[in-house]
Amino acid sequence: MPTSTSRAPGSLGSNGLPSLDALRFIYVTGKGGVGKSTATAALARAMAARGRRVLVCMTNAKERMSGMLGSPPIGPEIVSAAPNIDAVNMEPRKCLEEYGVMILKVKALYKALFENRYVDSFFRAVPGLYEWSMLGKAWYHTTELLSGKTSDDVDAPYADGWKYETVIVDGPATGHGLDMLRVPRVLLDVAPAGPMRKEAERAWRLFQDPSHAGVVMVTLPEEMPANETLELAEGVREMNLPIPRLVVNGLLPPLFQHEQRGLLLARELPLGLTSAHARASREQIQEDALAKLATLKLPTSYLPFLVNQEPSSPQAILALAHHL
Amino acid sequence: MTSPKSRKLTIPPQSHLAKLLDTKQVLLCVGCGGVGKTTTSAALALAAARAGKRVLCLTIDPAKRLANSLGLEHMTREETLVSPEIFARAGVPVDGSLTVMMLDTKRTFDEIVIRHASSQKAREAILNNKIYQYVSTSLAGTQEYMAMEKLQALREAGTYDLIVLDTPPTANALDFLDAPERMVEAIDSPAMRWFVQAFTGKSVSLGLLGKGSQLVLKAVGKITGAAFLDQLAGFIAAMNDLFGGFTERAKRVSEALRGPDVAFVLVTSPEPMAIEEINFFADRLREFAMPRDVYVVNRMHMPPAPLPGDLAGELVGCGLPADPAFQHAVQAAHHEATLLAQRDASHLERLRIDARDPTPVLRVPAFENDVHDVGALARVGEALIGHVAA
Repeated sequence: MPTSTSRAPGSLGSNGLPSLDALRFIYVTGKGGVGKSTATAALARAMAARGRRVLVCMTNAKERMSGMLGSPPIGPEIVSAAPNIDAVNMEPRKCLEEYGVMILKVKALYKALFENRYVDSFFRAVPGLYEWSMLGKAWYHTTELLSGKTSDDVDAPYADGWKYETVIVDGPATGHGLDMLRVPRVLLDVAPAGPMRKEAERAWRLFQDPSHAGVVMVTLPEEMPANETLELAEGVREMNLPIPRLVVNGLLPPLFQHEQRGLLLARELPLGLTSAHARASREQIQEDALAKLATLKLPTSYLPFLVNQEPSSPQAILALAHHL
Repeated sequence: MTSPKSRKLTIPPQSHLAKLLDTKQVLLCVGCGGVGKTTTSAALALAAARAGKRVLCLTIDPAKRLANSLGLEHMTREETLVSPEIFARAGVPVDGSLTVMMLDTKRTFDEIVIRHASSQKAREAILNNKIYQYVSTSLAGTQEYMAMEKLQALREAGTYDLIVLDTPPTANALDFLDAPERMVEAIDSPAMRWFVQAFTGKSVSLGLLGKGSQLVLKAVGKITGAAFLDQLAGFIAAMNDLFGGFTERAKRVSEALRGPDVAFVLVTSPEPMAIEEINFFADRLREFAMPRDVYVVNRMHMPPAPLPGDLAGELVGCGLPADPAFQHAVQAAHHEATLLAQRDASHLERLRIDARDPTPVLRVPAFENDVHDVGALARVGEALIGHVAA
């Protein structure tokens, strides 16, 4: 099992953690509502600020990334969203069509295909195909060179460099999130030789390579999200995929010291002091959750809880980027 | 527990929700992940059981501690009656009964296969098919569909007065409403029949399909690999053989969702993303002319009570430190709580309420601790439907 501490390009980032900058492919996942998109946007900003050319891929999401990056709306075509950051909201039908055009080359053939009235609903119904069309597209962008050619030999030096040095996928919420990651492996099981299988193999090889790819898990310092993160980590590790970083979002800066918390929580307090009691309680829950998460022994980044600004505003994202 | 605002409504949302528990047979709790849907479902189920109903709570992926609090080692995939002793020990009188069950997507699907298979051989062919194994566990929409399939089977059995369904946390609200349609499409649609016929060449229809089909098929094969199509055709053909009546079945499941005895509880938190999602879901329900019975907004930060005028005195009176640093921390906590309440209230304004047909909005305060014992669950239930007379 690849452990996060044994990653090859062992340069430490400014926060003392193994840097994510060398990764070509990052898949961000976590339960709904924990701030996956926030973490994705902040990570993209952080890497872009360090000079990486980044592509952010949303997986057919309700588009909120543009609000976070302060860019025009992001649709199914790749757009420039911020300095060094391109972004796209992948739409399965369109991904599949792009793929078809690439493979088929003959115009008459793909015209016949995509104009056939059955084909659309056929593709919609083929298990896993929509998921793969998106994941496959994201992977494909890791193979693009600035010259317009492609290569998936991640270690080969190219004079002109990669078009995108890092592709970040803002995955669907857990459950579907892991299901999507599992698709290439299912394809390896069910799909005999063919172009789809070949690509799935290449993509899967990259996803499993701890020096070039990884799953970034996002969570909150609360009881249920922490428990679910332990399960998620288990699922990811079962698939033999590296987890180079855990991102704990919404970390409360403690107001009370440990003993003070104990005093507050041990008492029935009058109404006017309930806000202090509630705060102490949250701090205690956070401490317990962090202890639980620490058992994962993952390099961990903490994003502070923002009281004074909208957490999904471009300013907030830039502030959070400093923590990644 | 009631927020000042909800008291102003002419019909308190609590009594509206209480009426739903009393008159409906199915409550569907919908909303995106992480908004407390499972807790809301369990609390509603318990409240109905306390009011004398025989209730089943069908849940998807409950927290272990919630299961433990109900006296279960872990949430089982069987219908499990919560022991009355558990309620007695927690001092929560329950006149009816509460049964809980966790949805097992794969098993529900397997059961359908086993029930409908024409022969042992056909059954095994399906259950061992790799594509089936993927479909039955991982295909987006399968879980949603199987939740409804199970719901329908349980309704037909007629054992319960009320079933509360904690729906899967959909990445996309569409998944849930479209699930039956998608399942049919995956197995028994004109497109799939076309594919199987064209691919296997077994029917007279190759000619009927026209020259285009073969060209199209060739193109599809180039994309997916012809051998993959081979597997797929085998799978579809087997499924088709199995589910002569699958389309009918899915149609019935889909129609059952639209019955007058089904209520939709739209669960959200004040987070903008959750509100956006629930707005979207409400729009879809409206499109389908389906009811939007009540909004439950969990985890609302309520404006805190004002700090005591003599803070130092009050702290000393409570046996707490009163040094300036501690006082400052208490003030900071109060200030933060005030800001959070303002933020939640302003986010909640984004909830789209139809002016002509306003859906009641029930605000549930953030609880300090996660809910995982029967007593806490009962208190959430009381907050949801007003006080339950013991």
